[in-house]
Amino acid sequence: MNSIIVSDALQYGGILIEGCLLVYMACSAQRRRLAGVGLYLFSMFAAGQVRAHIIRGYGLRSPEYTYVYWTTDFVLVIASFLLVCYLFRRAFEQQEKMWRFARLLLGLVFVLAIGVSSLSFLGNYSLLSPKYVVEFNQNLYFTCLVLNTMLYLTLQHLESTDEQLGLLVCGVGIQFAGPAATMALCHLTTGESFARTLVSFTVPVCTLGMLVVWAYAIVRVRESTIKVTGRIGEPALLEVTAD
Amino acid sequence: MIVALLILILSTALFFFYFQVTCQKILGRQFDREYFQSIANANRLEFPSLRKSLEDFGAPVDYSRLRMMLRCDFLALTYLLKNAANVNQRYTYDERLLILYFRWQFLSLALRRLLRLGENTAVLRLTAVLQYFANVVGQRVNAVKFGNLTAADYLLNL
Repeated sequence: MNSIIVSDALQYGGILIEGCLLVYMACSAQRRRLAGVGLYLFSMFAAGQVRAHIIRGYGLRSPEYTYVYWTTDFVLVIASFLLVCYLFRRAFEQQEKMWRFARLLLGLVFVLAIGVSSLSFLGNYSLLSPKYVVEFNQNLYFTCLVLNTMLYLTLQHLESTDEQLGLLVCGVGIQFAGPAATMALCHLTTGESFARTLVSFTVPVCTLGMLVVWAYAIVRVRESTIKVTGRIGEPALLEVTAD
Repeated sequence: MIVALLILILSTALFFFYFQVTCQKILGRQFDREYFQSIANANRLEFPSLRKSLEDFGAPVDYSRLRMMLRCDFLALTYLLKNAANVNQRYTYDERLLILYFRWQFLSLALRRLLRLGENTAVLRLTAVLQYFANVVGQRVNAVKFGNLTAADYLLNL
């Protein structure tokens, strides 16, 4: 009982921060710059509201809630992938060649995630089965974690001075890594009750962690203005004007 | 089974990696000047001397004393963070995250000691958190004018 209360409190805390961040971003001058973050926050907020509405109407154990849960989960996973694409775009906005390569890579990875999920279910299940959606969600979620880590390493390699982007990437890493680990544990222990309890805690804790890091990045860290001169392949001269 | 195990190990490692990197990024924040020394002097905090001894000589003091020093400094600074020139009388989100990070590093210090891995890295990380807290307190106190009181006088009267 206590664990349910704690888990609910964490979720409500997350919703509160999501709402505050959305309002803050809508009122600030950074809203265009942070459009991808805003879209992801909005999809999380909307998914939470739809789920809550269905629980109130049909109950937690109803088939309606199950379908809505997995549908919203699918939307959230797609939003996660789009968020990673946005972060890549922002990281390479001064480097068109790199962005073209990244765009190709992201497209290929997405097709690969669909392919791998299809392969494991072709022959046994229908592609429209909810199990296919679950498999696809898990594969794409882990793919997003790997892509995010690749982006973090690239930013280190490029010695990026965009502090805000670095923190946004770290926040996404926390959000993806924690649930991925507990989901794998749940899979290994074939859904033991302790693993399921751990999942119910980890997901809201990691979301809260990401929101806290993002709030810090958006509110406290003003983006550095970077002017890059020079072409790709040549040593770039960075002129940084930090606040 | 093997794939799930690999995902579990990799994701857990990445989770701790991102947590560590995020905290390091917050700790890397530049202050307009170094406030921590005056706060440490006013409150007789020991982390600056501990850090200096580690950086200069590489050898920490006796382990139980070291833990006690770090713990006392942490308690004093978290109290000041909450109460000194803080209108809301509560921690900000980044401060909460760093408090969690400090506790994690404190645990890691004990584990490193147990496994004989050398404590210096963990101690330096812990002192970095304390220095950040002292800088935040100093900056807040400095931003508010208390008549003719200096930051150190204000803290002594708190």
